[in-house]
Amino acid sequence: MPVSTKPPNRVIPVLALAAFACTWLLDLGVVQPNRIVSGTGYGLYAATGWFGAVVVSSLLAVVIVLATKLTPKRFGALILLLTTALMAQPLLLEVFALRKLPEDSAYARIGLGAGFWCLAFFLALMLLETLGRFKASRRLQFSVVLLVVVSWWFCASREGLSSLSLIREYANRADQFSQALTTHLSLSLGAVAISAVLAFGLALAMVRRERLRRPLLGLVSFMQTIPSLALFGLLIAPLGALSAAYPFLQTLGIRGIGWAPAMLALIAYSLLPMVRNTYVALMEVPEPVVDAGRGMGMNERQIFFKVKLPLALPVIIEGVRITTIQAIGLTAVAALIGAGGFGTFIFQGLGQAAMDLVLLGALPTVFLALAADAILSALKFQRAPR
Amino acid sequence: MIELKGVTRRFGDAVAVDNIDLTIETGEVCVLVGSSGCGKSTTLRMINRLLPRTSGEILVDGEDINNADPEALRLNMGYAIQSTGLFPHWTVARNIGVVPDLLKWPARKRDERVSELLTLLGLDPAADAIKYPHQLSGGQAQRVGVARALAGDPNILLMDEPFGALDAITRENLQQEMLRIQRQLNKTTVFVTHDIDEALKLATRIAVMDQGRIIQHDTPEAILRRPASAFVENLIGKGDRGLKLLGLRTVGDVMARHALPSQPEPLAEVLKETDSLRIALSIMVWQNSGELPVFSEAGEAVGTVTREQLLQGGA
Repeated sequence: MPVSTKPPNRVIPVLALAAFACTWLLDLGVVQPNRIVSGTGYGLYAATGWFGAVVVSSLLAVVIVLATKLTPKRFGALILLLTTALMAQPLLLEVFALRKLPEDSAYARIGLGAGFWCLAFFLALMLLETLGRFKASRRLQFSVVLLVVVSWWFCASREGLSSLSLIREYANRADQFSQALTTHLSLSLGAVAISAVLAFGLALAMVRRERLRRPLLGLVSFMQTIPSLALFGLLIAPLGALSAAYPFLQTLGIRGIGWAPAMLALIAYSLLPMVRNTYVALMEVPEPVVDAGRGMGMNERQIFFKVKLPLALPVIIEGVRITTIQAIGLTAVAALIGAGGFGTFIFQGLGQAAMDLVLLGALPTVFLALAADAILSALKFQRAPR
Repeated sequence: MIELKGVTRRFGDAVAVDNIDLTIETGEVCVLVGSSGCGKSTTLRMINRLLPRTSGEILVDGEDINNADPEALRLNMGYAIQSTGLFPHWTVARNIGVVPDLLKWPARKRDERVSELLTLLGLDPAADAIKYPHQLSGGQAQRVGVARALAGDPNILLMDEPFGALDAITRENLQQEMLRIQRQLNKTTVFVTHDIDEALKLATRIAVMDQGRIIQHDTPEAILRRPASAFVENLIGKGDRGLKLLGLRTVGDVMARHALPSQPEPLAEVLKETDSLRIALSIMVWQNSGELPVFSEAGEAVGTVTREQLLQGGA
């Protein structure tokens, strides 16, 4: 891969300096006597001693030097260095736990400080910038992300981090967690799948009949404007009445609260981006291309499946991507009406003022959204004409 | 043979094509020429039923086209348009192979046909076949468009301003290619253009259209010599119609031919027997000479042409 060696990179040194300031000024970790009390914070030096402080600081110094150097291999070296740094970052917490956790207390735990988050954030930003400068292939980008995720997963499952509050919360709720994962995924992906089918039909109807366009787009836009919490609430009464009137619905699990209203609301929210993108994608297929296809003897079905649909697919997939990310986020809110999913942890945690429990719900939600984004972006990229 | 009998096409109240009669003989190139909105494209698009006609009859080989299935009709009519309409998500080879595929030719026959056409249109069958349309220049894309129109070996070729969006040099090249291909294949062709020079160059017969009517339908020479109305006279341009006339005939028609062709030393710029009289005159003026040697395509000296022969030939 050709690497431009012209100007020294300015972005990476600035980010590295910011990371340096954050790690020295903010708390790296917190020691809590139990899960509610906020505990005492420790900076980088206090938490990991001179060894950790030297490693982190010299790493950032090397990054700055490398980024400003004009050697041709610098971005390759930076990728290697930053990936290793991100992979090894949880080890700082292990050192911290080893040094500062009181051994006599069964409830004591360590929490993540702002310094830790900032370090991870800036390291990730620098890695992104480097990958961009390196013009890294999608495969390399994917491998880097996978390496970091696997490494963090591996660190989290080690004995040394068992005192981390997030992992304690998880250990207490391992069964609930996997159930929440299943519920969250099936609710959001189910809603996306159903609304994709519905939206495709609606978009087709709009393409066929121009006068359906305004009322249909108006309807789906209107549904988008209702606040999510209100829509979840509004569905309780009619669904409750329905299931009371037809008891067999209850055996299917359709009640005023639970998955049924959540699913309906999620579908309603998913319709707008999906319908709009599908409609626009189908309408924006260039007219001469369709004309040529027809003029050469394609019938309408062949024009649709061989020309219009393949050309519209990248934009349609973009709609699915937006919708999926949105649905994963909204599913967290649906926990309020008893639909389950990671939102359950978030609201429980808020109720108990246990921030780590909130994180246990929020982090997987964010992770799921990012994963969906990555997968569908890759799919769209692959479908786009080269 | 394509026959249009009293064909009319209305869009609402507006009459786009007004009761036209036109016969296009098998193997001839009929060029419909006129300014924008004169109904020439509409006429073309009625022939392959992309537009339904309001009234009248269109017959292909004596058979009313409304009796045929529209898709089957179009599969037998090559179709090339100004914006090429190449499928952006398919390679050049797949674009050219679209009609053979629709006709369900076996894959080998189709692939052979595709490389045959790429060669015919002056493209590289190996390197260009795997390109995508956005990787082609305008001229290359239009060559692919023409190749695609020819792929199913149709009896009829419909071309709607195919070279209209190209620069002058590329257009000139493609017109030469068209003439060469037409000499080889002899397809019945309906060609729409607003460029009278293009029409004079390519046509067996020209149909001049204005406001939905055919003003004059005749050979290029007859149109130049006897324009039917002031409109046609304006269209062909009074100033240089003599020169245009010279452009219609080739040097080979008027020159004094040698008994035996000879092989001279190669020269840089020579007059070929396939060049038009107009080019011959231009070279004479440029070199200030009254007589020029004429060479064949193979480079042999085959005759001479004098200024007098030129002017008599043009008259």
